[in-house]
Amino acid sequence: MTEPRLITRRDFLGNSVLVGVQLSAFGLLLGTRVSRAATPLDSNENPAMGFTPNVFVHISPTGEVTIVCHRSEMGQGIRSSMPVLIADELGVDMKQVKVVQGDGDKKYGDQNTDGSTSIRNGYENMRLMGATARTMLITAAADLWKVSPASCKTEHGFVLHHDTGRKTSFGSLAEAAAKLPVPKKEDVTYRPTSELKNVGTNLPLLDAPAYVTGTAAYGADISIPGMLIAVIARPPVVGGKIKSYNVDKALKVPGVKKVVEMPPATLPYAFQAWGGLAVVADNTWAALKGRAQLEIEWDEGANASYNSDEFRKELSLSVSKPGKVIRKTGDVEKTLANASKRVEAEYHVPHLPHVPMEPIACIAHIHDGRCDIWASTQNPQAAQKEAARVLGMPEEKIHVHVTFLGGAFGRKSKADFISEATFLAKKMDAPVRVQWSREDDIQQDYYNTVSTQLLTAGLDEHGKVTAWRHRTAFPPIGSIFSASDDQPDAGDLQQGVLDLPLSIPNVQGESCKAPAHVRIGWLRSVYNIFHSFATNSFMDELAHTQGKDMRETMLELIGPPRLASLEELGIPALKNYGSPLDKHPVDAGRLRHVIEEVTRISHWKGHKAEGRTLGLAAHRSFLSYVAAVVSMKKHPDGKVYVDEVWTVIDAGKIINRDRVRSQMEGAVLFGMSIAYYGAITMKDGKTEQSNFDTLKLVRMKDAPRKIHVEIVESELAPGGVGEPGVPPVAPAIINAVFALTGQRVRTLPLSSTGLV
Amino acid sequence: MSKIKLKLNGVDREVEADPEMPLLWAIRDLLGLPGTKYGCGQALCGACTIHLDDQPIRSCVTPISRAEGKSVTTIEGLSPNGDHPLQKAWIEFGVPQCGFCQTGQIMTAAALLKAIPKPTDKDIEQSLSGNLCRCGTYTRIRSAIKQVAGIKETT
Amino acid sequence: MRALAIIFLLGLLTAQAAEVAEVSALKDPSAFDGITNKVERSRALFREAGKVIQSPRCLVCHPNGDTPAQGDDLHPHYPAVVRGPHNDGVVGMKCTTCHQDHNLDLARVPGAPGWHLAPLSMAWVGKNLHSICEQIKDPKRNGNKSMDQLIEHFAHDKLVGWGWHPGSNRTPAPGTQERMGALIAAWIATGAECPPEHSKETK
Repeated sequence: MTEPRLITRRDFLGNSVLVGVQLSAFGLLLGTRVSRAATPLDSNENPAMGFTPNVFVHISPTGEVTIVCHRSEMGQGIRSSMPVLIADELGVDMKQVKVVQGDGDKKYGDQNTDGSTSIRNGYENMRLMGATARTMLITAAADLWKVSPASCKTEHGFVLHHDTGRKTSFGSLAEAAAKLPVPKKEDVTYRPTSELKNVGTNLPLLDAPAYVTGTAAYGADISIPGMLIAVIARPPVVGGKIKSYNVDKALKVPGVKKVVEMPPATLPYAFQAWGGLAVVADNTWAALKGRAQLEIEWDEGANASYNSDEFRKELSLSVSKPGKVIRKTGDVEKTLANASKRVEAEYHVPHLPHVPMEPIACIAHIHDGRCDIWASTQNPQAAQKEAARVLGMPEEKIHVHVTFLGGAFGRKSKADFISEATFLAKKMDAPVRVQWSREDDIQQDYYNTVSTQLLTAGLDEHGKVTAWRHRTAFPPIGSIFSASDDQPDAGDLQQGVLDLPLSIPNVQGESCKAPAHVRIGWLRSVYNIFHSFATNSFMDELAHTQGKDMRETMLELIGPPRLASLEELGIPALKNYGSPLDKHPVDAGRLRHVIEEVTRISHWKGHKAEGRTLGLAAHRSFLSYVAAVVSMKKHPDGKVYVDEVWTVIDAGKIINRDRVRSQMEGAVLFGMSIAYYGAITMKDGKTEQSNFDTLKLVRMKDAPRKIHVEIVESELAPGGVGEPGVPPVAPAIINAVFALTGQRVRTLPLSSTGLV
Repeated sequence: MSKIKLKLNGVDREVEADPEMPLLWAIRDLLGLPGTKYGCGQALCGACTIHLDDQPIRSCVTPISRAEGKSVTTIEGLSPNGDHPLQKAWIEFGVPQCGFCQTGQIMTAAALLKAIPKPTDKDIEQSLSGNLCRCGTYTRIRSAIKQVAGIKETT
Repeated sequence: MRALAIIFLLGLLTAQAAEVAEVSALKDPSAFDGITNKVERSRALFREAGKVIQSPRCLVCHPNGDTPAQGDDLHPHYPAVVRGPHNDGVVGMKCTTCHQDHNLDLARVPGAPGWHLAPLSMAWVGKNLHSICEQIKDPKRNGNKSMDQLIEHFAHDKLVGWGWHPGSNRTPAPGTQERMGALIAAWIATGAECPPEHSKETK
């Protein structure tokens, strides 16, 4: 096979780089190499090659420990976290470890890096992988020394015999260990958690040296001799098709080789490629210029009548009527009818785009009866499956190599771009890199859905909330799998409508109809974004109505610490992010705790009297609990800005404290972009935004002066970290805006009010 | 097509290209250096930032003809061993998340510190605001720059 | 009869079209020959030149503050840039960090040689034609230009000339640079008189 030019062949250059100061007692940089070479895990056959107890761990006879990270690295720090858990359990220092990115392979289990699942679903299994390796190494040493395994332990890559102090390296035991049978799960011993030295501490960013030297390879950084580059003109309206085209001008651009018609997408779209015309050239510039020269007439299709303004009215109408009741306790309608006071508010959040910093790029190379793909994909299995389908090849012949991802947020779990690259590689009989432009990324995205919600509360004569009704209308994700799916279900409402503990006797959650006119996808924290926006804004509005403090109202509405049962929640079941309720209950106590903590560290008490303008919000998502306080101030020109943010996360057990902190910091900025600028709007079915001038993101000048992150110490089962930081941010901002200006913003983004 | 001569990371190079081809694509596709990234193609995000005669430019919109006879520095040439003080500080502070924007951030920060060794917060804000970071690493970028500049941060 | 009516209608339409074209274009200096009073004629010439001076294409780079504007609605330049010590931005965000010496079609970035901001002394935004006129004539505020150099600047400067060839779908300044140069020359030849205080306000 032709060896691709792999950027990361350079040895990690960092022996001289000291990381000491801010981080743990490591002192030295983790000696890791980022490599795309064939993994030493390929063969278990020859013990002389080393010890491979499972697909995640390999120890060579020279003592080199290789650990596979099987989940995609998109900035959440999975490569800096999961291998540490394994290494700690095994008894080796990270500086002795080489981390290798796992190819798409069923042997690793589900590699779909989505839904904040990697650590919460993989924690126990990864410990098992490390513990199995340790158990076998100890067995090998114990056999060698004729001592009991119980008298041995591992540390720093050695097995030590407790009584005599003798030690021997993992490397020297590798061959012997390789000959041993792999013990069953029940026969594997785990370290006491207190002996997991590095787990839970601040740990270095494994790939920092590669990032800062430009040697980390992303989707567009892999080159193969003879490679062609394709840039595709896709239908501007979802479901549109080519009517006619002229490629004469495009073909005249030097470097352009061919223009290829892409197969049109058919309903239901799911993750199919989008269709259109591909300009294939020998360099990217030529392909881009060539595409600009295409003359295409589109048959826009049914979605050409989709206009965001009109659809907004449709959504309002939808929530103005009773929907399908998904959550019910007591009798909300009766209570509302008899309430002393009724508070109602409608909230609207537009479609949101992913906009990862790295626009999509991937390369497919078909040769010698196999296909090699290099892609910044979140889901190697989906990539494998789609490539196999397009090429008519068995999945085992499709080799998906996962590069670094320059951000993803849910966009890159779809295999549409894999589909494009493999189709074109076959057509051109050459390796093809498909390069998406920024305009493509913004205009052909699986947008987070658009939503309108109606929150209604009834208050009694004492101002106490006695009824709470939450109606939510949004085109569900299910619509890409079934065109007729136009109503969210319980599995959708689990994100912030059903799992909100409320100490209110009459609660109702309803889903209302909303048909889809674009491909709906999922953006970092998904439906939680707008559900949290509505519930937290509404609680703030209720507090204002009651003449109370938001913190006080929130804690009162959530109620006392308790595990909210299904009965209490008024639902027959809870999807609970795929986790059993007994493992991850709806814990009002943990939700209260993050609220109490964040208001403590932000000195919430008495803030109004001090003239500080703060906003508070809290939300449970992906089995973690997060609360945020935002302090907003005004510029001389009247525009508002975020000055300081405090955020507290309870994610149960964590691995890399500094990566958790960075995720929370990042989530603040991410939430700010949603609040300030987040909007994808359609006119005549076409996305109105196209690049960073029309789709703005927050910049350095918008960054808060200070972000304080607190991580709740916990031994509970791990919850998600990548997404939960996001949902509280926008409502905390909006609540702070209200405190600062008296203006209640119920429609995002803020930029439409002129306040930012 | 024109033959353009330039100095790339200290080495004389000659490349044959459409004189309007942005330096970004020449550097990545023709000259084999992928450390400079494509983020937007319209000088709106800064991911493509390199130095032209020591001045930061957005290579995605700079035609290669502008580099004729000039010196181009990319991230690969910023330091011999990845040991520029900013690169070291970036590692120490764990600045990157996905890392995609960081080479552009570092190239801009390097030029800032060369021109203004002790930048104020305003200086940092004004010079770095052309570099987008979707992951939200701005606060750490700011801290890393200040550390290298020897500016103590008030907590 | 019907033929006459058609001719009449056609004539009307053509006249209207011509008038529309005339309004969006720039009048030639000779159009003002009919104003016999030299002072009034001078002022009228400057007012005509004012259509260019106060057009968005020119105002964007003659701000009365630290940031240029963008677009026909003169919104703040995005991304945020500042004047800097030499009217050409600050390190990392200099005008020429992004702007080239010519317009870029695909990238939509406008460009011309020497892209930079007019100094504050030459700010036009928020000022009326009277003030702008006085400013332009004053060597202390116009970069120490003589009258001849002023004509040269308006008639031939490449950055000024960009206003008429802004690229992409930007609205050009009215008329042509050549005609603008002629208007300024004619204005100077008639004594460079300024319109009185209460002239049209700029935004």
